[in-house]
Amino acid sequence: MTALITQAVILGILLGGLYALLAAGLTLYFGVMRVVMIAHSAFLILAAYLAWAFNRATGIDPLFSLVATVPLFFLLGVVMQRFLLSRLKPATLTMMSVLLTFAIALIIEGMLGFVWTGTQRRISLSYSTASLEVFGANIAVVKLVAFGLAAVSLLALYLLMKATSFGQALRATIQHKEAAALLGIDTEKVAGYGFGLGLATAAIGGTALALDSTIYPSLHWHWIGPLMAIIVVGGLGSIPGAAIAALVLGLSQSLLQIPLGTTWAQTVFYLALFITLMVRPQGFFGGRLAQRF
Amino acid sequence: MPNASDLATPTPTAPATGRPDDSAGERFDRRLGLAKAGLGVVAIVLALMVPWLAPDAFILSVAVVIASYAAFAVGWNFVGGFTGYISLGHASYSGLGGYAVALLTTHTGINPWVALVLGAVVVALLAVPIGIASLRVRGASFVIVSIALVLILLLVFQSWASVTGGSEGLRVPRPFDSSVLRPEQHTRFYFLFLVLIGIALLVWWLIDRSQFGAGLKAIREDEDKAEALGVPTFRYKLVVFVISAFFTSLAGGLYALWFGNLDPVFQFSILTGSYMVLMSLFGGIRSLVGPVVGAVVVGYAMEVFKAQYGDSQFHLVALGLLLAVVVLFMPEGVVPALLGLVHRLRPAATSIREESAAELLERNRAIDAERRANNEASTEREAVDDPRHATTGKGRS
Repeated sequence: MTALITQAVILGILLGGLYALLAAGLTLYFGVMRVVMIAHSAFLILAAYLAWAFNRATGIDPLFSLVATVPLFFLLGVVMQRFLLSRLKPATLTMMSVLLTFAIALIIEGMLGFVWTGTQRRISLSYSTASLEVFGANIAVVKLVAFGLAAVSLLALYLLMKATSFGQALRATIQHKEAAALLGIDTEKVAGYGFGLGLATAAIGGTALALDSTIYPSLHWHWIGPLMAIIVVGGLGSIPGAAIAALVLGLSQSLLQIPLGTTWAQTVFYLALFITLMVRPQGFFGGRLAQRF
Repeated sequence: MPNASDLATPTPTAPATGRPDDSAGERFDRRLGLAKAGLGVVAIVLALMVPWLAPDAFILSVAVVIASYAAFAVGWNFVGGFTGYISLGHASYSGLGGYAVALLTTHTGINPWVALVLGAVVVALLAVPIGIASLRVRGASFVIVSIALVLILLLVFQSWASVTGGSEGLRVPRPFDSSVLRPEQHTRFYFLFLVLIGIALLVWWLIDRSQFGAGLKAIREDEDKAEALGVPTFRYKLVVFVISAFFTSLAGGLYALWFGNLDPVFQFSILTGSYMVLMSLFGGIRSLVGPVVGAVVVGYAMEVFKAQYGDSQFHLVALGLLLAVVVLFMPEGVVPALLGLVHRLRPAATSIREESAAELLERNRAIDAERRANNEASTEREAVDDPRHATTGKGRS
């Protein structure tokens, strides 16, 4: 029993790490543009498919696909911000951007199904079945790799935000766009790069996901719900809040799987979302930013 | 300072109909009104004749599907059109409505039409706590909650197979005798949907003209200002949310009775919810008939697309592209855009005053004199409180 719980805790933390990375991306979009990016998880699945296709075509480890997908997604993010989202009227930006990104998610899902059919796909690697024994719990190596990838990216993102002048400009834009612009920051450009960074997290997360999951085009709906719940619970716009909420909810999901099974354990996200809205609509870690949204 | 336009309110002596440009504009408005009414009558007659115009049962069934889309879109538009809160999860209510009818008729054996209304009432009651939770937040969070609701309901209805039949599906008993053949069934359901759309549009129209509707529209334009002006925003939003859930669930129940089989994947599908949004936006969420026009155009296009290319993944791309185009290029919708085009043809109402400057001065003097007389009659304290006076003292803080 203890081994079971240890295993659940470890798996929960590993899953939470991936959630945290993806939620950080969502938070970035929201921070720079006040946009809720429904297509985030669709890009996640797109990246997973690209990793799978890369592996199938070349036989090289799918992790190497990151070399291409991360810059590609960054560029896509910049383009999306500049040519699509910034065209929407500011007054209705929040609602219309949700619809626009929703439309993008549908297009991606449709194209994935069109190009690679709806068949379930899975990458098989030499270390796919390998596992480590930690405190009597069996942990698959691919899950550790995925977590490592997520942790390293989160750390890099943190350093970028805290230690570079671009990060400073980005944080200033998130905090107060007009004030940042008055200080001479080109907020439009920074917002574009922020969007690119957010999409880059989807590229990394997707590759990590492809390592140990079966993927299919409509999988993104299973991710968007939990991710949305995480950013609302964490407080829209707060990256540490999102990370904490991701870990807590990932852990709870993993622990609840023992008594309830995988399907019902997912409801923890929606339950947390509902409770948060009833008790603290601005989220548990969010500041004043979340209040209005 | 009160500017001239404030004071120049039309006086009874001003000849309102004698001006040539005004009467041209009025004539145009009258013609436009007639054209609209004529178009409406033609549309209604055509809609009523569909069962006789349809060449075969399949086309008729497509007409029923499009009518159901229109009913969903009109139900959705109670929240979307009045408050501007875009719900992507209205499939929750249509799905719940369907299951409510199915479960009520199979377990209690009551008349299916009673079950339809009863089910919708139950769903409306369920919508109260959901509304309380999701309307506490605005914009983005509201959309998130609406999507989350569909996902959670899908999860529950798929897993709770002992009650809902799970992925096996749930059979809905037919409300009509087995002696009624399929085409006849289609015709009957088609008219039932038309009746439902008619009632929903009537309620929408009544709200639109009421003070309640004005409050809701104030929320749509600026919620903070509406609240500051004393609109009970939360209560208004909640009421209209429940009304919307009620009509959407009626449409869902009717669809379930027609289709005869429920599968959670289709009942609680985000796509169904996005159809409602797309159709309403396409037609124009601020206009009465917008959602119906949108449902007919988009629904017809979707059905043709499915018939041509099959129910492949590619129709997702088409749906997504269409939604993106509507959001980017005509967020106001087709109906308002067309009306705007027609209004361009209207003889321009000039902003040139018909009064000469001297006449205006004369009239303003008269008003000022009247004011002074009033002020002198009242005490000084009252004069300070006189709202009319207050507007003249711009520097007074």
